[in-house]
Amino acid sequence: MSPFDEYLHTIIMEGGVEAQRDGSATVEARHLLLAVAAQEGTAPQRVLAAAGLDHEGVQAALDREFDHSLSTVGVSRGSFGLSRPSTTLKRLPTMGATGKLALERGFASVPRKKDLRPAHVLLGILQAEAGTVPRALALAGVDRTDLLTRVQNTITNDDNE
Amino acid sequence: MPASDIPVPQDPADALAAVVALRRLADQLEDAAVEQAMRAGWSWPQVAEALGVTRQAVHRKHAKRLIAAGVKLRRRSP
Repeated sequence: MSPFDEYLHTIIMEGGVEAQRDGSATVEARHLLLAVAAQEGTAPQRVLAAAGLDHEGVQAALDREFDHSLSTVGVSRGSFGLSRPSTTLKRLPTMGATGKLALERGFASVPRKKDLRPAHVLLGILQAEAGTVPRALALAGVDRTDLLTRVQNTITNDDNE
Repeated sequence: MPASDIPVPQDPADALAAVVALRRLADQLEDAAVEQAMRAGWSWPQVAEALGVTRQAVHRKHAKRLIAAGVKLRRRSP
């Protein structure tokens, strides 16, 4: 397995764990973003952390987006007093539509598979202009376009080394 | 409440995001509510009927998770 394949495998597996923690049957782009933010010592994690988006920061931004979106229709998570449901780690969730799109966009950003770097996964996630991730970033005050440029620069620098 | 009383966000992005968030909240509520009912001794057919779905559907969706969580499941309704 190439270093990129290993990284991709980790992100998909960790994304699955994030989805289960979230009670989601599918791995969505937001779960992949959480997984990317959790991989200490990798270039994409450093880019996110520099923008204030460590794993905790991403989770906070996503929670804020969830609450904000519910509030626009007058609903609050706090109105329901039900306890947190049990989750099981026995079966991994399948890849959801937004997760799939993020990975496809990352793969499509290089002409050959061997040119893929870990940062291309983050590039694919950040390319979405609509949906939960860009909304969460905007609410957290993060400039998505600027972040995309930083990720792109990481890839260029990596290739020049 | 009547449909006309449901606030509809003016921005399409907000309205679409509200749909996504409500579905997600409904899924979380379903997981919690089914677990609460099964812990309280409800049977699969009772939970299925209350949710308006088939017994097979509710079983397929929740059984594995509840068994792993150690919830004692009733096999038959009284």
